[in-house]
Amino acid sequence: MPTLAELQSAMRAVSLGGDAAPLAGVIIGDGFSTQERLSIHRNNTTILLGESLGATFRIVKALVGDEFFANLTRQYIRTNPPTAPCLFEYGANFPEFLGHTPSLAELPYIEDVARLEWLWNESFHAPAAPVMTTADLGAIGADDLNALVLNPHPSLRLITSPYPLKQIWDLHQCDADPEALVNLDDGENHLVLVRSQLDVQIIELGAGGFTLASCLADGACLEDAFGAVEGIGDANEAPNALGLLIAAGAFQR
Amino acid sequence: MDQQAQTAHRLESPIPARAGIGLKAQHYQEILETQPDIGWLEVHSENYMCQGGPTHNWLMAMRERFPISMHGVGLSLGSAGPLDKNHLGRLRTLEQSLEPGAVSEHLSWSIADGVYLNDLIALPYTEESLDIFCDHVVQMQDTLKRRVLIENPSSYLRYEHSVIPEPEFLLAVAERTDCRILLDVNNVYVSAKNHGFDPIDYINQIPGELVKEIHMAGHSKTVIGGRTIRVDDHGSPICDAVWDLYNHTIALMGPKPTLIEWDSNIPELGVLLGEAAKADRVLDQHRHTDVTKPEPQHAHAR
Repeated sequence: MPTLAELQSAMRAVSLGGDAAPLAGVIIGDGFSTQERLSIHRNNTTILLGESLGATFRIVKALVGDEFFANLTRQYIRTNPPTAPCLFEYGANFPEFLGHTPSLAELPYIEDVARLEWLWNESFHAPAAPVMTTADLGAIGADDLNALVLNPHPSLRLITSPYPLKQIWDLHQCDADPEALVNLDDGENHLVLVRSQLDVQIIELGAGGFTLASCLADGACLEDAFGAVEGIGDANEAPNALGLLIAAGAFQR
Repeated sequence: MDQQAQTAHRLESPIPARAGIGLKAQHYQEILETQPDIGWLEVHSENYMCQGGPTHNWLMAMRERFPISMHGVGLSLGSAGPLDKNHLGRLRTLEQSLEPGAVSEHLSWSIADGVYLNDLIALPYTEESLDIFCDHVVQMQDTLKRRVLIENPSSYLRYEHSVIPEPEFLLAVAERTDCRILLDVNNVYVSAKNHGFDPIDYINQIPGELVKEIHMAGHSKTVIGGRTIRVDDHGSPICDAVWDLYNHTIALMGPKPTLIEWDSNIPELGVLLGEAAKADRVLDQHRHTDVTKPEPQHAHAR
């Protein structure tokens, strides 16, 4: 008879789609084949992890349909099973997996929608932190502003995509107009996500504003961040973006 | 071998001997707004191990209003390998911030070779698995510095090399580790139907004083190869046969904190409250019959 470690290793393999034959002398059949007995556990793993991914990637699920999504998650779960029990942390490389799935080649925006959903999920569960306000920034002397390095809020995330992600996102919120449509040729999206209050906000920026946000998130001082924006978008874009970011609580006090 | 946890256990659970319900995100707002008359709430520990955000805030708001029990589904105490220390640490952090009335886990395993299967799989009941399981319960109790409750599983298969009956195994765990028991009445029924044993006989083997919490849930039937297997999916009302078994259990053991679990096809809050009210009526019928302390028999007869 197998040791507990050997048994569990063999059952793990079956739950992830492997052959049940090695367990034939170990599991009592009592009217069922070994495969039938173990199918309940395989279904538990596949269905429950699939539901967890469906909660995290609900827009992807809506876009591809329940049945197709179940097929995708079955493949993903078998090749990328969770390594820890907190399932709100499961699925980090699901967007990349979707990007490499040949049957999704005709829906090239799906990977980016999944990336947005993953970043929203990360932002939603991030630690709380005190927020830097406009007043805090105003209290800093003009001489010190250029060298100022802002500390990103733990919930700050950035994403850029050639597809109109924000419009796709909005279409799948509960208050969306059921008649609304998204034109995939509407152009690229530059989005910042932050959850300084209760809800995750998604802020749409221009290319210049997004460059500023990226530089600041990477630890550039204000002078360098504004320098990096020169020549991108119009002159007001970067100052306006900084105002939006501060108001949204994108930086910690 | 004395594996008794050398820990300074806290006071006995403040979870009342009333019905409670499993807390679901769908019901957060309604529970806070309507403040229903429920005895307590139970949460799946793993869903609240985030460091911040709305989920965490909701839980802290609930904690101000209701006694909370933490029910873990991810520690995998029955795994042959070592416990995940990172996960145990996160459990400790949550337990410290929440100060729950009870902390529970399962007599089962869900992790092998570093993979979390998100399933609660019954163990083969052997001396090897008993040693491993008890070591892990002791480690959990030592880390949390409190006594934990261990829940009997639903099972869909048995192993050729299992030699210890499940109730005996569960009682051996309680004896060796000084843990207490979370008796899932629906699980007893599901396993009894799947394996053909008498659920009453199982319940009768568990001493009431060890049982600190009871779980009640709905299960489903699935047909495989023309035969029915019952699956503990927590997705429907509790069936009459499980209510009958619950009545038997409470008549035998006296009132116990009783959780209504509903984890899939989650209905409106009112449906859960209806099931909870039903459990409360059973508990109230036995409120004044203290069956846990039998009369001393003829102590001074001579």
